[in-house]
Amino acid sequence: MKSLKIGLAGAVLTATLCGTAYADKIVLDVTAWKGNEAEPAGLPELIEKFEAENPEIDVEFSYISRLDTDVVLPPRLQGNNAPDVMMTDMPLVKIWSEAGLLADLGKDSPWYGNIEPALQPSVTAGEAVYIMPLEVIGMGNFVNLSLLKQAGVEDIPTTLDGLKDACGKLADAGIKPLVFTGSFSAPLFVIANGIERAEGQAAPYGSPDKTFAGDAAFGSVLDTVRELIDARCLDPKGQAGLDPWSTALTAFKSGDFAMMPQGAWNIADFSSVADLDFAFAPIPSGKDTGVALDLFGIGWSVSANSQHQEAARKFVSFFSEEENLQIMLDAESAYSPFVGGQSGTSDVTKPYDASRAEGGVIMYPFAVLDWPKPLEKEIWDSLTGFLLNTDRSNDEVLERWDEAVEDS
Amino acid sequence: MPEAWGRVLQPIRIYLFTVPALLVIGAFFVYPILLSVNLSFTNFTGVGVANYIGWANYERFLSRSRYLNSVGVTIKFTFLVVVFQTLIGLVFAALLHRMPAIRNFCRAVLFTPAMMSFVIVGYVWQFIYAPYTGGLNAFLSAIGLESLARGWLGDPSTALFAIAATHVWMFVGYTTAIFLVGFANIPSDIEEAGRLDGASSWQRFRYLELPLLAPSFTVNIILSTVGTLKTFELPFIMTRGGPDRATNTLSLEIVNNLFGSYKFGFASALSIVMLLIVVAVAIVQNIYLKRREDNQ
Repeated sequence: MKSLKIGLAGAVLTATLCGTAYADKIVLDVTAWKGNEAEPAGLPELIEKFEAENPEIDVEFSYISRLDTDVVLPPRLQGNNAPDVMMTDMPLVKIWSEAGLLADLGKDSPWYGNIEPALQPSVTAGEAVYIMPLEVIGMGNFVNLSLLKQAGVEDIPTTLDGLKDACGKLADAGIKPLVFTGSFSAPLFVIANGIERAEGQAAPYGSPDKTFAGDAAFGSVLDTVRELIDARCLDPKGQAGLDPWSTALTAFKSGDFAMMPQGAWNIADFSSVADLDFAFAPIPSGKDTGVALDLFGIGWSVSANSQHQEAARKFVSFFSEEENLQIMLDAESAYSPFVGGQSGTSDVTKPYDASRAEGGVIMYPFAVLDWPKPLEKEIWDSLTGFLLNTDRSNDEVLERWDEAVEDS
Repeated sequence: MPEAWGRVLQPIRIYLFTVPALLVIGAFFVYPILLSVNLSFTNFTGVGVANYIGWANYERFLSRSRYLNSVGVTIKFTFLVVVFQTLIGLVFAALLHRMPAIRNFCRAVLFTPAMMSFVIVGYVWQFIYAPYTGGLNAFLSAIGLESLARGWLGDPSTALFAIAATHVWMFVGYTTAIFLVGFANIPSDIEEAGRLDGASSWQRFRYLELPLLAPSFTVNIILSTVGTLKTFELPFIMTRGGPDRATNTLSLEIVNNLFGSYKFGFASALSIVMLLIVVAVAIVQNIYLKRREDNQ
């Protein structure tokens, strides 16, 4: 009987202590569309490190895909049951902050002043800041070095003339030069060159102030596409049958094509292919540097209704520390959004890095809200239509872009 | 007094039993539709306040050719799927009805694609139709028909047919199964009488079985029409509505407006338009097919 009493007392004491310890801990609800097995982005390691450094905070991490984020989080935000910290991008930030659902992280945040000047205005909404950027990822031209060598092309093309010359040599050697799908690769080329020709001024096109139709910069890029077809860079009708997210990637990995404008997030996948000797270069353009089309993809935001504002901000700031962010950048082959920050890129991206260093950077206009999101799909559709019938006038294509801007 | 009340309540008592069912229907079917109608008159973005904007969403639907084009694509796709799925399902069912030894095995095989996920089916067929490395073009080349090879999903003139073929491949087992049930319900003495009168297999099918399969036609056509009108999965996975909107169904347009563009109000307007189309088509079909059944 005595031993039973001692046992019971021990159990009660243990339960009380455990309960107290648990009650003292802040449980931080964090969601992201990275951090799973396929795309870890260093998050498991970073969360473990954060918890070790902040023993009073327990991070409860949930992976929610980007597509599911649109479905799962709005009802939680509306129902005052949002996660404390959420991975976001600018289209989400725009909608959620306008509804008053995100906390202002403040211009006085320790990391705000260090954001790259080109990016800082985009993440600032008036006097408020609703997102702490995590990474900038490149969109450029993947080049199969073995195929280029086989065709006698010495240098990776970064200019339009270089590209046309390379296409001719590749075509002569019986190699298909360029993946140019209307629903991603072609838009990257057209957007990069169009903005470059517009002296880097993307924002006016996303407003009623300026139209694409009749615009010399974008009209002339469509003429350039016709020149690429004449230079045997691409079979325009065949491109429409390639899916940029599946069959085009497989075709490039299989060595069916020598070049492909795409995003740097494919580097890890391509690196796993034996015998695929490739480089990630800027998009060929009218300038020697080519265009390094940078995509500001993801960041952290804090729910306005979070009960753990201080812990949430501590979590967000943790990622702005260089040694921590580096883990994510390495995993993502991405660039730091902060001044003087390192990159997670490798030798494969040297041509792209060089273009960035020489001032060839253009920010992808959709990711910084210079252009409305619905326009992106319209550009994909209209360029696919253009590739199927290049006799269409430039204005016929570009008027559809203006219509999408007007509707949004 | 209670007796008097009983007499008063008697006629309405029977309706009181329907109240629980009506409540469930009201809460889970009617209310969401009314909510969608309400949202369709707003600029709701999924969060925050929904501002009333009158008929603006419907005006936009009517004033932009892309949305009317989506309705056209949806109707064309539905027509292709319903016609071919019904005819092929009927042929399979007629053949299997005459081959009892392999009927169950073949029925299971035909039904298998319908149990697969749309995502898997979409990706597999995307690779089959691929222009440079695809199985279909490789097969055509192997049998000397290289001139027919093309980017099946990249050519606006073939993309919708290619997706419709995938859809038919996926669901023809359903249609076959329903027709087989129809065949099983035909009294054996009718077939036997036909045989005794010297009717050939084709004549028995044409003049005896086909008219008696009228209820199976009704079920098949209405189910496949309603299901196909709402489809978005295969066009979403295989072409994302391309090339240049050649496969952009109304459902896909709704999804694109909801997720990515965050135009919940406009997407609600589109879904109301779709609901009206589905209801109208289903009513017309039902009236026509029921009348046809009654005339048999």
